[in-house]
Amino acid sequence: MMAGAPPREPMLSLRELTKRFGGLTAVDRVSVDIYPGEVVGLVGDNGAGKSTLIKMVSGVYQPTSGDIRFLGKPVQISGPALARDLGIETIYQDLALADNLDAAANIFLGREVKRRFLGGFVTTLNEAHMHAETEKALSTLDIHIPSLKAEILTLSGGQRQAIAITRAHYWDAKLMIMDEPTNNLGVVEQRKVLDLIRRLRDRGIPVILISHTMHDVFAVSDRIVVLHRGRKVAEKRTADTDQEEVVRYMIGLLDDTSPDGVGGQASLPAG
Amino acid sequence: MPRIPPLQVVPAVGVPRLESRRRLLLALTRIWPWAFLGLLLIFFSATGVGFFTLRNSQNILVAITPVLLMGLGQTLVIISAGIDLSVGWVMGLSSVASAIVIRDVTAAGAMGPFPAILLGALAGLAVAVFIGFANGAIVAKLHVPAFIVTLGTSFVARGAAYLLCGGNVVGGQPPAVRAFGNDALMYLVRGAGGGLYFFKKPDVTGLQLRMMDRILPWPVIVTVVAVAIFIFVLRKMQFGRHVYAIGGNREAAIRAGIPVDRHTILLYTLSAATAGLAGVLNTARFSGGSAIAGDPLLLPSIAAVIIGGVSLFGGKGTVLGTVVGALIIAVLQTGLVMLAVQPFWQFVVVGIVVILAVLMDQMRDLVLGRAESA
Amino acid sequence: MKRLWVLVLAALLATPAMAQAKPKIGFLPGTVDPFYQVMEKGVRDAAKDLGLDVVVQIPATWGPTAQTPILDAMIARGDLDYLIIAPVDKEQMIAPLEAARDAGIKVITVDTFLGNGDYVSGPVTFPLSYIGSDNVEGGRIAGNALADTLGGKGKVYIQNTIAGTSTTEQRSEGFKEAIKAHSGMELVSEDYNNDDASLSTQQTAAVLQREPDLAGIFGVNVFSAQGAGQAVLNAGLGGEVQVIAFDATQFAIEQLRAGTVSLVIAQKPYDMGYMAMEFALADARGVTSLPRRVATGYAVITRDNVDNPDISRFIYRTAD
Repeated sequence: MMAGAPPREPMLSLRELTKRFGGLTAVDRVSVDIYPGEVVGLVGDNGAGKSTLIKMVSGVYQPTSGDIRFLGKPVQISGPALARDLGIETIYQDLALADNLDAAANIFLGREVKRRFLGGFVTTLNEAHMHAETEKALSTLDIHIPSLKAEILTLSGGQRQAIAITRAHYWDAKLMIMDEPTNNLGVVEQRKVLDLIRRLRDRGIPVILISHTMHDVFAVSDRIVVLHRGRKVAEKRTADTDQEEVVRYMIGLLDDTSPDGVGGQASLPAG
Repeated sequence: MPRIPPLQVVPAVGVPRLESRRRLLLALTRIWPWAFLGLLLIFFSATGVGFFTLRNSQNILVAITPVLLMGLGQTLVIISAGIDLSVGWVMGLSSVASAIVIRDVTAAGAMGPFPAILLGALAGLAVAVFIGFANGAIVAKLHVPAFIVTLGTSFVARGAAYLLCGGNVVGGQPPAVRAFGNDALMYLVRGAGGGLYFFKKPDVTGLQLRMMDRILPWPVIVTVVAVAIFIFVLRKMQFGRHVYAIGGNREAAIRAGIPVDRHTILLYTLSAATAGLAGVLNTARFSGGSAIAGDPLLLPSIAAVIIGGVSLFGGKGTVLGTVVGALIIAVLQTGLVMLAVQPFWQFVVVGIVVILAVLMDQMRDLVLGRAESA
Repeated sequence: MKRLWVLVLAALLATPAMAQAKPKIGFLPGTVDPFYQVMEKGVRDAAKDLGLDVVVQIPATWGPTAQTPILDAMIARGDLDYLIIAPVDKEQMIAPLEAARDAGIKVITVDTFLGNGDYVSGPVTFPLSYIGSDNVEGGRIAGNALADTLGGKGKVYIQNTIAGTSTTEQRSEGFKEAIKAHSGMELVSEDYNNDDASLSTQQTAAVLQREPDLAGIFGVNVFSAQGAGQAVLNAGLGGEVQVIAFDATQFAIEQLRAGTVSLVIAQKPYDMGYMAMEFALADARGVTSLPRRVATGYAVITRDNVDNPDISRFIYRTAD
């Protein structure tokens, strides 16, 4: 990623995106470009507007003003289904997996492959096909789980995270958004998930990573965008900054958008 | 960049498989209803008078018909993390409605017995489906908890049933109705000069009549077909898969684009339909429509579903499990009569078995849950 | 009635015990309540006195749904010669009992008849006999007794049990007949309490509110009378509103003594049970002249005669 590389088209372009809920401005004129093949860490303190921003991209909320371009074309992401159709996949903290079903069932949830009998009168699940595809999808991302047919309740947190990611990838995600993917994971598993994120990036799929864990952000992201009280206060290449500086942006002590580079409301960390 | 300690080669295999002891426990939680049923069968065959006979086996199959039919729909509903408390009175309403139609159509001389029975059956199913649809729609669209909705509609069904029949059993059924409810696919006349007869009841008297057993009465065959269909739907069809998903994680199902509201409506409609079918078969068996026929069967049908391994929290269970659950209850009921023991013990035992079922379910979660922290 | 007893007993003693007739008998009453418990006592006492084997099974709830599976199982035992049953529905239990007949079991009905009760020329003729109360007559007795107590004038109300139950519907029918014959009397309404005493109390309380000049209530069975009596007590109208109770439970007798109930009509369930057993044994011994219908009669209990041992023996006492 690369300052000297030939100029590329951003895959996702947010321009002056704003979201107001009644009198509260949750996101205030945020503009960001996301390019293919990069991991962008989206950080900010609680209430900074990260979730709201992301929800506008994934179709849960509609922007109050501003626009979104995807692959160069302006889009209205009016619902989650539309986001998915465009190829924007969001993996929320709860993973949206059915613990009582197996890996294949989860990956094909809602999009099951069927077989027709009796001239189309009876359709059954084509489980053989779905299992084969699942095996392929997992090995493509170099993921190993002990049993394809076990309920995923029996798998570890990291493995379930991996399945959620595989699902998004299998269905041709062009852009992935991950909300706190390493929460509740052990050290070993965290590392595996970060590896997975890198593999996605290497396949050209950009990942927007929301995380409170500075260590993860710095381990895996190419750029960092900091939000503070709904505004973008910094956008830096990871290599050009460090944790301390980022934290200062997060709590408002630094602000690249204000004329003097210092936080507008000199906010001290709240309690 | 913060210093990352040198990476060890992490083996490709994730969490180690469950140890064999845990797997044994897991298997136990799944097969215990079958084992318990087997034990009961052996026990009663050894100690009960007349238990291990062809006649009694058919009695048991006939006895589980209404409970199992109601349990079929209930199984699906509970897997989706819902519940249907209206099935008892829906069964009664269907019994009454079908009896009234058959009676009036026959009295008007409008058609022969078989078309009349068909029409009556359709009428019984129609009223049931109407209530089921209402249940599903209110649960799905108005977000009222299923427990409350179905409790409410059970009262509506009860009132409707009583209003239709004026509190009396609806009689005036043509003989074909009783034949449908009591005749069988085959008859076996034991002893000398006997034989196996198909479809028509042999015209025997006296000793031969006493030695005659019916095999697979029509209501049992209808139930078997219904069970087969439900097993197929739950295991092999996309709808069945979606039912499990809705029960396992409703939010995930919604996000996956599964039409949860439509499925919910269909589920409660199916549940009421099976109760309606039970009501029609009841009319046939007793040659009369009875409003109160289904009420005492509601709790046993739920007990059968739970004993069979369906978790009340949703996401788990099978139709075959419900079959085993219904069999356990019927075997207990029958066996105690054969032992000339007070039938009230059956309730105590069923209660214990239901609690056992829930404990087994918890144990299963415990055994599986431990794997996660590895 | 007494004459019948003697006749049957004599027949039993006179007939030589043919082929060591020791039939095995099944007893299947309607459900759990004092009336059937007293009947069971009669059955068991007869078993002891006559040296017979009896298998007793009691349905937990009222209705063909509960009674039929138990009936089927009793048939499947294969060792019963006779079945004494109080059918819970006079139409719906016909088919299941025909199965008993087909299996070679002879059926004696008690308390409730099948079809129209005429086992000679009616629609149902296979049972050996019907031994029970003439419920229409019982209702009439209640109606006339109430009319007498009220001097032929007043508003009355019926507390009925599970709708469609032939025995209690017949009592209601008889009662209404008697009331109609008295021009000064008016039936305000009839409610069904589903055999639930507390619902009966609720319904009666509501009617007492609605009709301040209600003069009399008829409770058609154990729980109906109990519930109605309780409501009258609760309203402080004991002695003001006359309650006629059908079925002489301990509670009904207590209310009789307390003045809340003015009349208790006792059936004779003990006799029904005992006599049914006698009939079975007699039939097994080859007696062919058993009557196809026996009306077991009533004892009318008032505060005046309740302590008379001849009358008080008809109180449904279950604890012995």
